Amino acid sequence: MSRWCRQWKREQGGSFSLQQGWDLARLWYGDRLSPKWRPFNAQEAQEVFAKVGLTGDFWSLD
Amino acid sequence: MGTATEQAEFDNSLRLYTYGQVVDSGRAPTMAEAAAEMSSSEAAVRAAYVRLSESHAFMLTESGELWRVAPFSAIPTAFPVQSGGHTYYGNCIWDALGIPAMLGQDATIPASCGCCNLEMTLRVKAGSLLPHEGLIHVAVPARRWYEDVVFT
Repeated sequence: MSRWCRQWKREQGGSFSLQQGWDLARLWYGDRLSPKWRPFNAQEAQEVFAKVGLTGDFWSLD
Repeated sequence: MGTATEQAEFDNSLRLYTYGQVVDSGRAPTMAEAAAEMSSSEAAVRAAYVRLSESHAFMLTESGELWRVAPFSAIPTAFPVQSGGHTYYGNCIWDALGIPAMLGQDATIPASCGCCNLEMTLRVKAGSLLPHEGLIHVAVPARRWYEDVVFT
């Protein structure tokens, strides 16, 4: 991760585990094929992030 | 198009048709194909896709065709997803994982590490991600993801 940041001259951002990524993917996309699906509003999206442990300013949508 | 309700129903029908096409064929429909399926004009379909893009679930190319049908990318990327006899593409690893999550299917994701380019194949089986070493790094703060979604 540090190497990538040096290569692209970017500051280190946020990171999470592959398992958190899978949990996030299921919460985010699990109902996407439902006829009743609708997009999350910002508060709902923030709550999904929090459910998988993505909290703090980096993950804030405000 | 008539009322707001009719417009919402049209948009949802188009959304479900589009997902069905991508799931079944591995590619997004063209504007012309979608218009024919919806018995509508390309202009009406494009306007609906623009509305569906407001949430960033769908995104259009400058030429007006689909390039993102989240979690699918309509164009090949570095995040292929092999599932159900198809090869799909995600826009990022979150989206790549989103494909088996959405389909409820086993999948193999032959990705590579973003920093060293070594093979990093992930597998989803029976609703679980099989253990694999690695981290997902997001360089752009969440509030700025859609300023330049390609870089993000």
